[in-house]
Amino acid sequence: MFKQFVQNFTDSRIYLISSLWIFLIFFILVAVMLYRMNKKHIEYMSNLPLNDDNEK
Amino acid sequence: MQLEKFNYDNKIVRDFGIATVVWGIIGMTVGLLIAFQLFKPEMNMGNQYTTFGRIRPLHTNAVIFAFVGNGIFMGVYYSMQRLLKARMFSDRLSKIHFWGWQLIIISAVITLPLGLTTSHEYAELEWPIDIAITLIWVVFGVNMFGTIVKRRERHMYVAIWFYIATFVTVAVLHIVNSFQLPVSAFKSYYLYAGVQDALVQWWYGHNAVAFFLTTPYLGMMYYFLPKMANRPVYSYKLSILHFWSLIFIYIWAGPHHLLYTSLPGWAQSLGVVFSIMLIAPSWGGMINGLLTLRGAWDKVRDDAILKFMVVGLTAYGMATFEGPMLALKQINAIAHYTDWIVAHVHVGALGWNGFLTFAILYWLVPRIYQTEIFSRKLMNFHFWIGTLGILFYAIPLYLAGFAQGLMLKEFTPEGMLKYPAFLQTTLEIIPMHIFRAIGGTMYLTGVIVMTYNLVKTVAKGKLVANEPAEAMSLAPVFVPQSGEKTWHRSLERKPMMFMVLSIIVILIGGMVEMMPTFMISSNVPTIASVKPYTPLELHGRDLYIREGCVNCHSQMIRPFRSETERYGEYSKAGEFVYDHPFLWGSKRTGPDLHREGGKYSNAWHFNHMLDPTTMSPGSIMPPYPWLIDQKLDTTTTESKINAMRTLGVPYEEGYEKLANNDLNAQAQSIADNLVKDNINIQSNREIIAIIAYLQRLGTDIKVK
Repeated sequence: MFKQFVQNFTDSRIYLISSLWIFLIFFILVAVMLYRMNKKHIEYMSNLPLNDDNEK
Repeated sequence: MQLEKFNYDNKIVRDFGIATVVWGIIGMTVGLLIAFQLFKPEMNMGNQYTTFGRIRPLHTNAVIFAFVGNGIFMGVYYSMQRLLKARMFSDRLSKIHFWGWQLIIISAVITLPLGLTTSHEYAELEWPIDIAITLIWVVFGVNMFGTIVKRRERHMYVAIWFYIATFVTVAVLHIVNSFQLPVSAFKSYYLYAGVQDALVQWWYGHNAVAFFLTTPYLGMMYYFLPKMANRPVYSYKLSILHFWSLIFIYIWAGPHHLLYTSLPGWAQSLGVVFSIMLIAPSWGGMINGLLTLRGAWDKVRDDAILKFMVVGLTAYGMATFEGPMLALKQINAIAHYTDWIVAHVHVGALGWNGFLTFAILYWLVPRIYQTEIFSRKLMNFHFWIGTLGILFYAIPLYLAGFAQGLMLKEFTPEGMLKYPAFLQTTLEIIPMHIFRAIGGTMYLTGVIVMTYNLVKTVAKGKLVANEPAEAMSLAPVFVPQSGEKTWHRSLERKPMMFMVLSIIVILIGGMVEMMPTFMISSNVPTIASVKPYTPLELHGRDLYIREGCVNCHSQMIRPFRSETERYGEYSKAGEFVYDHPFLWGSKRTGPDLHREGGKYSNAWHFNHMLDPTTMSPGSIMPPYPWLIDQKLDTTTTESKINAMRTLGVPYEEGYEKLANNDLNAQAQSIADNLVKDNINIQSNREIIAIIAYLQRLGTDIKVK
């Protein structure tokens, strides 16, 4: 049955490979962006929840 | 810039908190009731409104959208105000959101037992309620983005991104999975049919887990866990990486719910690959959470709240490891349709969602009531009985899943099925079902103890409805300082752009998967002998939907020898082209029904529906005597035929006027046939329609 689909839909491989490429490129972009991030900013951001010292 | 004084709205947090607890108890009690019905069918109280097929959706909807839903809003309204240093945008919108959501839940509580359901899992509510959900969701969105706009904190903390992603994705999922053509006030047909409907539904179903049960809870984890442990999150960079990877990958994984079905093979493969990849971002979240506690593990020993968080995160880790494993075809072949999946879901639901909700309630209620928790002992008791409850729930169901999955595939040395009757395997796992119900009872006991503890806490404190706070106002124009121009930093300041980017990220996966299945007709090869349902069969099908038969019976025979031997020829995509909606099902508590047509006599079906144990001794299927008493409503035939034609089912023009004649003739012939077996029944009863439908199932391509 699955052969039937693959034959009817010859471009299926393009979908499989292109989807992986899309993710890979996206992932690398995010990783590069993270690498270039400012350390001070990271510290500031990670302390945000602790800075609303309203409660005792 | 000047120092501004303002108040946090704690009242709305309290209200959502109460709703969380109340709906939690109701949803879990219904869950327990159906768990008992799985070994003692009489627990349906002999009543159609409390029978498994109708109230299993009530249980799932109540725990997902009422318990967890209100829990999300409680956590979001509390944390968002504080992270953005602003009161919620509008008190009125908060109120509309709260009461609107409760009304939606109440309408579910009324309509689902009445059998008013679309049959799409976790999207069962009919079209008027779907519209209400959309409106209330928009109210939530406006309130959320309004708050973001008037914030006093320039940067959006990672929790806020998770909330934004939740908002936009749930909106997209809900709308796409709600394209229905109304037939009457509370009945509609999905625009999609068969394979396409299945793909849309499981794209939705899988991502409802992702974006309703996961992302908002991760957001809450990133706010509340640092608060509880009094230390910042382990790695902020990891939180960014796993956020973007998680929302990107999750959306692709839906087809793993349809492995070995008639869904095109390439879509199945795509689902498998992305499911495996999903381990990484999921574990990124879990590891980030657990490592936040580094150096604070001594606290975990004394603090029940942190214990709940640790077990919750561990359950998340286990469920998100198990999910990708279940997406492997070899494992899925055994696990799919069995109790294994039920166990898997409940590790996530009871452990991750349940325990995080309890931890947040225990942490938050004393704070907004300015007091201490009433009893730490009871809190500890809740933790232990809850944890044991999860174990007693999950382990027996894992055993039941393995046992049944393997038994169904077992052959004798002669090459015959070892357990040819499905019921033989069911009877083997009934003790496991009993243990599961005990586990569920323990878990619910814990929740009731928690309720008592919280009520006592509330009684000794006083609600700070408006908690005073102060923060500097934001300068109207932001001037970037030198060295600040990193991409994500500016994104953190632009909520709208952030939202658009999140939408793009989640749409990519959906589009790549769905477009080919919808645009390329050869993807669903048509079969010439497949004809539309007759009017009587169509009514029978709607009764099948009303009674929730799909909750226990699949209509999808996978291409395995064990299945073709047991049920007949495997299911083909082209057989479902007129199925609005598809009824493939996701769990086999009973056997598959796709080739049920012609297998038994009409009299067998009649007696079986009246009392299943007469035909199948030991069966745990409940009796359906009301189908024999109730008259079939044929006034809707015309609108149903018209609706189906609009959706592309080739009924001839004008057939709607003649349909009831055909219906009566077919019903009469079934009634006449029953007389031969000494069953005298009027032809206008519902049972006749459901027999007609069952006898039609899978016969289009059956060799006669």
